[in-house]
Amino acid sequence: MHHYVKKALYFGVPTLSLCLAALTLQAGEPSLIKVGFNGDIRSTEPGVNRDENSDAFIMHIVEGLVAYREDASVGPMLAKDVTISDDGLTYTFTLREGVKFQNGKPLTAEDVKWTWQHYLDPKTQWRCLPEFDGRGVSKILDISVPEPLKVVFRIDKPNGVLLATMSRPDCGGSGIVHPDSVAADGTWIAPIGTGPFTLGQWKQGQYVELNRFKDYTPRAEAKPDGFTGNKQAFVDRVRFVVIPDAASAKAALLSGGVDVLPDVTAMDEAELKNVPGMQVRTSPVMTLGGLLFQTRDPLLGDVRIRRAVALSLDYSQMVATLSNGLSTVNNSIIPTTSAYYDATAHTGYPYDLDEARRLLKAAGYHGQPIKLIVNKRYPQMFDMGVLSQAMLQAVGVNIVLETLEWGAQLERYQSGNFQMMAFSYSPRFDAALSYESVTGNKDKEPRKVWDNPKALVLLREAQSESVAPKRQALFDQLHTLMLADVPMVMIYNGTSIGVVKAGIEGYRSWPISKPRLWGVSLAATSK
Amino acid sequence: MSAKRTLPAEPARSVEAPARRAWRYPPLNALIGGGLLLILIGMALLGLVWTPYEPLRLDLLARFQAPSAAHWLGTDEFGRDALSRMMMGARTSLWISLLSVSFAVVAGTLIGMLAGYLRGWTDRVLMMLNDALLAFPGILMALGIMAIIGASQYGIVLALGIAYTPSVVRVVRGSVLSLRELEFVEASRVIGNSEFYTMLRHIAPNCLAPLCVLATSMFGWALLSESALSFLGLGVPPPAATWGSMLAASRPYIASAAWLGIFPGLFISLALLAINLFGDALRDRLDPRMRK
Amino acid sequence: MFRFILHRLGMAVPTLLLISVMVFALIRFIPGDPALLMLGDMADAQSLAQMRSSLGLDHSVVTQYLIWIKSVLSGDLGFSISTRQAVLPLLLERFSVSATIVLVAVALATLIAVPVGLFAAWKQNSAMDLGLVAGATLLLSIPSFWLGLLLLYAFGIKLGWLPVVGYVTFADDPLKAITYLVLPIVTLTLVEFGAIARMARASTIEVLRLDYIAHARAKGLSEGAVLWRHALRNAFAPTWTLVGLILGNLLGGIAVLETVFTLPGVGRLMVDSIFARDYPVLQGCLLLITCIYVLVNLCVDLLYPLFDPRVKL
Repeated sequence: MHHYVKKALYFGVPTLSLCLAALTLQAGEPSLIKVGFNGDIRSTEPGVNRDENSDAFIMHIVEGLVAYREDASVGPMLAKDVTISDDGLTYTFTLREGVKFQNGKPLTAEDVKWTWQHYLDPKTQWRCLPEFDGRGVSKILDISVPEPLKVVFRIDKPNGVLLATMSRPDCGGSGIVHPDSVAADGTWIAPIGTGPFTLGQWKQGQYVELNRFKDYTPRAEAKPDGFTGNKQAFVDRVRFVVIPDAASAKAALLSGGVDVLPDVTAMDEAELKNVPGMQVRTSPVMTLGGLLFQTRDPLLGDVRIRRAVALSLDYSQMVATLSNGLSTVNNSIIPTTSAYYDATAHTGYPYDLDEARRLLKAAGYHGQPIKLIVNKRYPQMFDMGVLSQAMLQAVGVNIVLETLEWGAQLERYQSGNFQMMAFSYSPRFDAALSYESVTGNKDKEPRKVWDNPKALVLLREAQSESVAPKRQALFDQLHTLMLADVPMVMIYNGTSIGVVKAGIEGYRSWPISKPRLWGVSLAATSK
Repeated sequence: MSAKRTLPAEPARSVEAPARRAWRYPPLNALIGGGLLLILIGMALLGLVWTPYEPLRLDLLARFQAPSAAHWLGTDEFGRDALSRMMMGARTSLWISLLSVSFAVVAGTLIGMLAGYLRGWTDRVLMMLNDALLAFPGILMALGIMAIIGASQYGIVLALGIAYTPSVVRVVRGSVLSLRELEFVEASRVIGNSEFYTMLRHIAPNCLAPLCVLATSMFGWALLSESALSFLGLGVPPPAATWGSMLAASRPYIASAAWLGIFPGLFISLALLAINLFGDALRDRLDPRMRK
Repeated sequence: MFRFILHRLGMAVPTLLLISVMVFALIRFIPGDPALLMLGDMADAQSLAQMRSSLGLDHSVVTQYLIWIKSVLSGDLGFSISTRQAVLPLLLERFSVSATIVLVAVALATLIAVPVGLFAAWKQNSAMDLGLVAGATLLLSIPSFWLGLLLLYAFGIKLGWLPVVGYVTFADDPLKAITYLVLPIVTLTLVEFGAIARMARASTIEVLRLDYIAHARAKGLSEGAVLWRHALRNAFAPTWTLVGLILGNLLGGIAVLETVFTLPGVGRLMVDSIFARDYPVLQGCLLLITCIYVLVNLCVDLLYPLFDPRVKL
């Protein structure tokens, strides 16, 4: 009897505990993190029929040859390294070894070529096609595959922003997808990328999910670095919940409906940081907020009036209010987080009401109303307008606020049909791209605020130039010229304010501002 | 459009109600309702000449202050005094409602009279258009009109006016239809008066009672709709304040600065209550069956 | 009766057509088009033209209208510009959410309000009656979205009893679905209760004064029977009209409530599609709402004889 009991115990207890352990492991639910999105994604195709949320989403599934690092510089992602020929016309990408697609197949240079040809096909309607087909800085002449893991791009003109453009999230990061993502007749099925997550369930209008890609091949670095680095995912499932309304999103965070809100307003941040169990993660980003002038307007065509407006705004107080103390004043188009933001870019407009009044008098301004367009959809733009109006009253500038619906305001922006406008530019991650968004020929592109031929020349040079110090010199010249011309008044760069619940580790906001759920884990204690 | 709350067709009390009992009701309704309305209108008029602070003055150092002796209703996200803005809001909200109702009454009466009196094809076409307009969701129309001509006071007035005209048309047409068969109208025609004169002199005054009742209800609808539109993102543009836009603007701060949302909502409710009570009293008074 | 139905449906067709034209024109007059909204501040002329063409916006307005009408008649409402979803399934899905809330709330409100109104009429001018009337008028005067906000704050945030955002379909998880619907339904019920109760009371008062009620009482019928069998039948007609009006109008006006409670309903879909200039979705919404409006009116009229045998269709 004793003998058998002993034997039973000897074998039974470890077996039993193993069984119990296995059971608990099975009973453990896959970890899920819920993120709040302010709108549903448009499609799952990188760079096609997209908006900001779609871009953020797709960057979890696909990866490109190069990608933005944490500091907004460009680094290799799927490529092991990139070499540029001396004449700047040939780019050779050597791919990393052993990278797998989400359908198990290995990544080869042929797949890269296929993907790029798919993007460059006008039928695909890839958003960034104009940047690579000659309408932009240069044109891709051909893509060749000399070796199984080498891809060579040839372009027609030197292009200092080629890699930066390839990395743009609104191009889907030029993510490389497997040909099986597309059906035989050319219609899109689903993205088969190389990224840390695969496409999960999509309940349109409600939520869309990502599942961890178990066989993901991460880069060798220890930690994630922007959109590159080691992007190993630690959570099994991510659900992006659609909550269009900001107040409801905040309520959801407070009540546990979501775990992460990537982008809350400055006012909400002030409240949420005091709530126990909430952590705030902020980072300056590269959105540009400011007031635009129409330099072809009969009244505002006079640079003295524009300059008077620029001198009458108390920028530090305005920025402190608009960003609740989280941003700093920036009168330069170059974002503060850019590598090219130097001492020159730091110079701006002084706060000089006397000089402003003198200029207005010299220009013969006697109180004519100036219409400033704002909209209610983006509170920062709205508040910027309200504050500007109040501040400009002090020098006698009569601002009349015209509230338009966002779509209507965009139309006026596009056609240049306005006097002044409170506007916010979506982020451009290279200084040259930032300047390009505001500089151009008004006859061809009425939306461009700055129409100075000298500026255009400088811009073209900066776009072709790849050597950093030379570019810096060009940007310095551009900034000084802009301060003198006053085609617009840049006020500040935005801040990305992410709020996460306690227990979420590894989530960071960053200058590119898109949420990233790789490298993020749930602490064991939270559900 | 959001709740058309008070229905004009609510049947009045019957004639058999003993006169003694009936006395308790009208004064109470009219007193409370009329009294409240007078207070609110007084607040609006006072706001034209005096407010504790300048409603548009920003004070970035005094943002989000709770109600206190200095600021009776607290301050908002820009440091503006909430009470002053409420007084300004009273003026704007009440004025917009008044204008939209007037628009609807004038337009609706004209169209309703034409349809009811002329009958035939004119009537049919007008009523078809009217029904289409009635079925058209008011919010869409308001959004559309304001997106086209820009969000301004007059845009809202136009949008709401057009949205309410069909109701007036229906009521007026109904009255005209029943009145035109009456003898005195016939008599007027026989004497030789023109159709137009007959319409004006004999029919119009008799439409007045149901019209008054409807107008009172519409005043409430307009107030409510203006708030709803502000809520959805299209309201009177800054720097003007309306109760609706103040309520909408308070939403993000409901947890931290609840007073910003409580007072505008409270005032809207009080105004609607006053209108409803007063409207009841008016209806009781004007209903011909009520003549004791 | 069938002739009546056919006649009414027949009359509805020109109204529908008229509205479709109005909507089609209105939305295209609003400055800004979907292509511009999608490309935002990065829109250059060529990309815009390309996108417009792919959306079919490069034809004239009349041509676009005819194309749309033709596809509607064959049952195809097109595809959403924003999400590329098919419009009809999207509409039906969203509509089921709004309809659930509206129908349940109005049914609840009617079920509670009618007896309350009856009771108040029976006890006319008593303290209880005055109290009920005051309460009903008060509820009538509170804006629905303000009430919704207050309830959300109280029960969702402060007490944490109910979720504040999102939606779960009944099919997925019935119990959870109910928790998401409680607050909006309660809000709407409270808001509509006032009007229905007042109407029920007023029309019952009117009926109670009439001779045949005195006659029924004289016959020896209990008060309950008098109220229920005689008064209610006749008093219900105006109340029923009101309910019909409320139902018809609520679908269009529920957008605000859906915004407060973040519900994927048809009201918010309509508002969102205006802001996004999603023409196919908006046009589909309009058609749906107008059809519902016509149907509701029809049902209301059809059910009249149930309550008042004197009414012939």
